[in-house]
Amino acid sequence: MALRSVDLAVERGEIHGLVGANGAGKSTLVKILSGVLGPDAGVVEVAGRAVKLRSPAHARASGLAPVFQDPAFAPDLTVAENLRLTGTDQGAFRRRVGELGLDGVELGEPAGSLPLPLLRMLDLARVLAHDPALLLLDEITAALPADYADRVFAAIRQAREEGRSVLFISHRLLEVQEICDRVTVLRDGRNVDTYRTTEGKEQRIVASMLGERAALAVTDPQRAARTSHAQPGEPALRVRGLSDGHRVRDVSLSLARGEVLGITGLEGQGQDELFAILAGDRRASGGEIVADGRRLAARHPHDAIRRGLTLVPSDRWQALLPQRSVRENLAIAHYNAPAGWGWINLDRERRQVAEAIGRLSIDTRAQAQARRLSGGNQQKVAIGRWLVGGFTTLLCFDPTRGIDVGTKHQIYDLFRELAAAGRSVLMFTSELREVPLACDRVLVLYDGRIVAELAAADADEATLLGAAHGLAEALTES
Amino acid sequence: MAIAPATTRPFGPAAGRLARRHAWTGAVVLFFVLLLAWNASQTRNFGAFEIQTLLASTLPLAYLAMAQSVVVIGGGIDLSVGAMLVLVNCLSARFMEGTDLGGSLLVAAGCLAVATALGALTGLVITVSRIPDIIVTLAASFVWGGAALFVLHTPGGGTSTGFQALVLGSGSAWWPALLCLLAPLLLVWVPLRRSRTGIAVYALGSDRNAAYLSGVDPLRTRVVAYAVDGLLCGLAGLATTAFTAGGSPQSTIAMNATLNSVAAIVLGGVALSGGVGGLIGPVFAVWSLYLIPNIMLGLGVDPSYGEVVKGVVVVLVVMAGGLLRARRTRAP
Repeated sequence: MALRSVDLAVERGEIHGLVGANGAGKSTLVKILSGVLGPDAGVVEVAGRAVKLRSPAHARASGLAPVFQDPAFAPDLTVAENLRLTGTDQGAFRRRVGELGLDGVELGEPAGSLPLPLLRMLDLARVLAHDPALLLLDEITAALPADYADRVFAAIRQAREEGRSVLFISHRLLEVQEICDRVTVLRDGRNVDTYRTTEGKEQRIVASMLGERAALAVTDPQRAARTSHAQPGEPALRVRGLSDGHRVRDVSLSLARGEVLGITGLEGQGQDELFAILAGDRRASGGEIVADGRRLAARHPHDAIRRGLTLVPSDRWQALLPQRSVRENLAIAHYNAPAGWGWINLDRERRQVAEAIGRLSIDTRAQAQARRLSGGNQQKVAIGRWLVGGFTTLLCFDPTRGIDVGTKHQIYDLFRELAAAGRSVLMFTSELREVPLACDRVLVLYDGRIVAELAAADADEATLLGAAHGLAEALTES
Repeated sequence: MAIAPATTRPFGPAAGRLARRHAWTGAVVLFFVLLLAWNASQTRNFGAFEIQTLLASTLPLAYLAMAQSVVVIGGGIDLSVGAMLVLVNCLSARFMEGTDLGGSLLVAAGCLAVATALGALTGLVITVSRIPDIIVTLAASFVWGGAALFVLHTPGGGTSTGFQALVLGSGSAWWPALLCLLAPLLLVWVPLRRSRTGIAVYALGSDRNAAYLSGVDPLRTRVVAYAVDGLLCGLAGLATTAFTAGGSPQSTIAMNATLNSVAAIVLGGVALSGGVGGLIGPVFAVWSLYLIPNIMLGLGVDPSYGEVVKGVVVVLVVMAGGLLRARRTRAP
């Protein structure tokens, strides 16, 4: 029942945006259009002919080609074998790869050994090689580095030139506004608005996306008058000269109590490794981490957690116990408490869990199993766990990846609240525009080093993007 | 090292290629090390007679390990391989008794057809019913075991000496057994592996969802994998008939064979999670598992220790593989 009734017409040679809050039915619609799910009612017509999409292969043969957030590549097969699986012509594929500006792609490499953003680009190239009538792009730019995203946009525009249609799904509204000809907004499984992008602005999307809740959730995007809660004195976390001999090079940073510090960078600049080291999941080869004034040499995440350094990973599946209830997922960090013997105090647990659910306004309709929650609610549970478990510094890796605008703002607000209460947050974000919304200060990571430090007020997209591309030296010296 | 498994895959590119493509070489190395140890422990030196003995006595289990590999690569597991071996063993022993070579071959062809069909049926039931492989094949093992008792109440039956010589060779003629072992590999597996269906088997085991989105038909693919599995189990049954010159419906044979097939594929570099491995590694693993008790015997140790050593070797080899991979990933 994710989808109630949707009427959607994508014209030939049109880039059509599809937006909606989490749970509005976007993914379900894509699954139906790509033949993964069958509709209970309704018709899909391609070029005027009604088609019944039986399977992904059949949908592709009918000219509907999807690129999902998780690329459809079998990880143990080589890229070439994956191409054979979909019956893709290697020559056409290579041509499309060239058009996307990707060089040196080794077709004999197992797909699983390639980085995810590259794999997603290859998925796009593969789909394009089939000359589809309609491209279905589901959150293709989520967590895609900016340089790749630009190439995706170029490819989409070229597809339009070639007379193809594109259904473009994204949470990044500016992106949608910029690239799409028309936009359809879904809410609660229905299409509530369709308009030409020349006629409306992204505020219109947000308004129709949220319906009557709009007034509540959308606050001034810049929040210029925000006050910093950073406290002087011993910082919550200090890192000096941290290296792992590979991806992380001489990283030093200091996070004050009550501060929200952002880190940003393009894909693969050492951010994964840096956060893994801080969370105790990877060893450093040099440098030191000082948490709460004491040196931390964590051999295991458990050591870091005991010192109040907790990680919310980007992949929610890594954090959650998908088959267990929301209550257990929230309470699990609590089981670490020093008084670990004897009975679990169920009353206290229930109280704290209820408090976290209320504070994060987690939608508890599907609380029996965490995997049935929507992405936004899963992320809230992953964060809420530490509200129950307790922490000094929250490490958040891309906390708003693939989450709707309303929930994003709730998460930003939560970070501000935590900061006001004297907690610290270190968050990595691949979405540059969210830096001024959530952070007091931002560091830019490039090739494993911190190349720029900016106050939130100065952290506009252009400056950050420049620094992320390694253009920071000129900037900091001036 | 895992913040985002999506971006930080468990294997680096070079290490990944090595670990994935050459996981089976561990079994080959182990085999040759054991061969040297065996050579040192025996009074006689390694020669044609020993090769013939090795090939002939391991032929059933080698087929069975290949059968199990096909299914596990496709993301399943087959607990009925041993029972299928026993069923085909009993069927062929009952109907081959008193025939000449031609008659035996006719019976053999019939048995293979039955085994292939039953394998395909298993795959069909698993896919259509959506019951996990492990449960369907466990149930199937009871059915095949019962059917074997129905065919042959007590150990007995027979085969023609011509058939025995054809499958196993005799004296020091070791090449018939080797040819029999290579035949399904060259005639069935290699063409399959190069076809789209073969790639689909690997894809299904590697990532079911990605395979489905790539247009793999799970039903067709699984039925093909289980049919090949059935065919190879049938060959294992026929090899058993040739080797023992009769049939035996004992369920312990089935159980042992199934468990040994799993040990062999693990040792032979097939990942139980699916999508990785081949058929040659498991065959070398079967040979290695055969040599261990023989070396014990040659050293004058109670052969009962052989089983203990076998178990330890399986764990050690798999562990060594895991450690090597971990080291390669940690220091790329």
